[in-house]
Amino acid sequence: MRRVVITGMGIVSPLGCGVDVVWQRLLAGQSGIGPLPEQISAGLTSTIGGVVPSLAADPVAGFEPSAIANSKELRKMDRFIVLGLAAAAEALQQAQWQPETEDAQERTATLIASCVGGFSTITQAVRTLDSKGPQRLSPFTVPAFLINLAAGHISIRYGFRGPIAAPVTACAASLQAIGDGARLIHSGEADVAVCGGTEAALDPVSLGGFAAARALATEFNANPTSASRPFDQARDGFVMSEGAGVLVLEDLEHALARGATPLVEVVGYGTTADAYHITSGPEDGSGAARAMRLALRQAQISPEQIQHLNAHATSTQVGDRGELAAIKHVFGENSRLAVSATKSSTGHLLGAAGAVEAIFTALAIRDQIAPATLNLENPDPASEGIDLVAKEPRPMPIEYALSNGFGFGGVNASVIFKRWQG
Amino acid sequence: MNRRVVVTGLGTISPLGLDVPSLWEGIVQARSAVRRITQFDPTNFSAQIAAEVHGFDAANYMDKKEARRNSRFVHFAVAAAKEALRSADLTITDENADDVGVIIGCGVGGLDNFTTYLRVMDTKGPDRITPFLIPMMIVDMAGGVVAIEIGARGPNFCPVSACATSGNAIGEAWHVIRRGEAKVILAGGTEAAITEIGIGAFASARALSTRNDDPATASRPFDKDRDGFVMGEGSGVLVLEDYEHAVSRGATILAELVGYGVSTDAYHITMPAEDGSGAVKAMRMALRHAGLEPHELGYLNAHGTSTPVNDRTETLAIKKVFGDYTAKLPISSNKSQIGHTLGAGGAIEAVIGIRAMQEGLIPATINYHTPDPECEIDCVPNTPRQAQFSSFMSNSFGFGGHNVSLLFKAFEA
Repeated sequence: MRRVVITGMGIVSPLGCGVDVVWQRLLAGQSGIGPLPEQISAGLTSTIGGVVPSLAADPVAGFEPSAIANSKELRKMDRFIVLGLAAAAEALQQAQWQPETEDAQERTATLIASCVGGFSTITQAVRTLDSKGPQRLSPFTVPAFLINLAAGHISIRYGFRGPIAAPVTACAASLQAIGDGARLIHSGEADVAVCGGTEAALDPVSLGGFAAARALATEFNANPTSASRPFDQARDGFVMSEGAGVLVLEDLEHALARGATPLVEVVGYGTTADAYHITSGPEDGSGAARAMRLALRQAQISPEQIQHLNAHATSTQVGDRGELAAIKHVFGENSRLAVSATKSSTGHLLGAAGAVEAIFTALAIRDQIAPATLNLENPDPASEGIDLVAKEPRPMPIEYALSNGFGFGGVNASVIFKRWQG
Repeated sequence: MNRRVVVTGLGTISPLGLDVPSLWEGIVQARSAVRRITQFDPTNFSAQIAAEVHGFDAANYMDKKEARRNSRFVHFAVAAAKEALRSADLTITDENADDVGVIIGCGVGGLDNFTTYLRVMDTKGPDRITPFLIPMMIVDMAGGVVAIEIGARGPNFCPVSACATSGNAIGEAWHVIRRGEAKVILAGGTEAAITEIGIGAFASARALSTRNDDPATASRPFDKDRDGFVMGEGSGVLVLEDYEHAVSRGATILAELVGYGVSTDAYHITMPAEDGSGAVKAMRMALRHAGLEPHELGYLNAHGTSTPVNDRTETLAIKKVFGDYTAKLPISSNKSQIGHTLGAGGAIEAVIGIRAMQEGLIPATINYHTPDPECEIDCVPNTPRQAQFSSFMSNSFGFGGHNVSLLFKAFEA
């Protein structure tokens, strides 16, 4: 089987833009969560979120849309597309992948996920329809909100003509994009897969919808940075964030032949369905456990060989408990596995979460350090026997690491990376 | 060695009826399902017609309370999946549940519920939003709910590629089974976007036909006077199965899926590449997988949306792939009858193609009256044609530049 490595990564997140600065801020224990602007949060029970900082708010690593596209182009794109383009630009820059020949373009796949797509575009469109009538809708309404257009824009901008896809499996979406990308390379259908996810759903309707489903944290509005607290007893829901993560996956031989630098190797992927409930997983975490086992089987390693796990852990009561049970199922109790939940710092990027956390997992391997879980003051008793990395990041040897992503609808996905030592 | 993938079950909810037999009857009769829109008052819209599903009651397919918590696009998928499972005569048990997956795509998700609750929020405040809004809206919920309803715990994901969505879903399922990661996949797509915002937004992109005074003739793929597509709705689900598995349980094999071509134009967000080059690549890749020469193909089920640009570029692409043989290749578009069901189109059309191959009857392209010099093909005008054939290709293309070609063959052991 062809071996798959990561040769480029890009992040746009509430901790800023750019993999290096985001990683430094994550390790420094910073939180990207803050109060949402009044025009978004008015009347909501949860008034906090993880906004991608503007350049004005964060001169070092803020986001500037005009650096991505001119104003005419921006009018045709929802924010989730713009964030995706930004993360892709960084990842491709690092990978130094800009195919010129037709063959190389056709051998490049584009897989960019999202949970909800152009939420604010469709909100605007409904209001335009109601107030001014259907004739006044922008002709770009459809291409601005369609979920697959993040992948579409990236493929058009860089001329990637290989397989294109937009997996949409709620909060597991971008992890599935990575898994699918690796498969395309394994099966020989592509040499390079640009994959990840993007999300910009900090909108009153989606926040209201998740709040109505009682999925959001509501008790920490006065103290936003403490609201996302995976595995802590006081957790009461997730904090919604926006952003994008894109990874360049590549056939190892292809990468080496062109002198690219592999960052880590992608060695395992597993995905399963719970077939249980639309918004909650089973308490025993059995579906999640099966996904992790499938990934281990593909990697041909035993559970003891995984040293670090980046948990899906969104900071909801039920979700975190199910994942703890799943981890115990697979790794046993009192294993040496170091578990981190980086949503404590970034909040939950929904369809971009899997990719961003996969990037953190790759960086943990590269720098041999497991990031901390913030706000973990009183661990859930259910976590007894699991080594949670609390408060401070932990330098440690990491040969293999696993990252989880689960989604509404009962979707489970797990990916395993291996240290690359060329 | 890759495993062989066969089709053992079919299910549809379509504008021509609530199951596969009624859909096929409508195809045989060459009926149009396009009418004036009834799901909302279309008076102020430039496009006032659509191919709606009539007489559908979700409570016939799932628990009433569960049905209320889900969107129309999810209801359609559950109904189509249950029919497909029944026709495959497959029982899902604790023993085999992990080997049965669900890959059902959707182009836009729960637009109707979204619109309703946006209005609720604007008039009554965010506290009045239903807790089920998010699961009602997000597109992966069709596959999620189908898995719950039938107890399928294998691979489950939701590809979204606009109007190529269910072509991708079926193709991805093919890969999953070929690799041995599942024995059975319920694959297809679903869509219910005949809403104010769905119609209004596509109309503003000038994609829709405005032949409001004569709905039944509005969808006219390859005809010179075509003026846009007509939106349809529905769901199509195929039971794809590992050949050995199908044989060992004594299943009836309806067809074999032998090719899946996929490519990207990387050209424009809503327009196909003018030279049809992306579609050419997808069709050639499907033929290559199948080990077929172009002249060996029996029938081509076209994407044929009835927009001026699609039908022109698709014709161009077909001619590049099939050369002189194009004149002899029957090519038709079911969208002339059922409209464009967006994310469900590829799957419903694959079902029609399989039924056509079984019955030896090639579906017509109805409403074909004035030949277009830019679409010179044998589009099987107006009347279905009796002809035995043993392979067909089904094309689906989507906004974003997605091209998918599926290739099915009559099964031979």
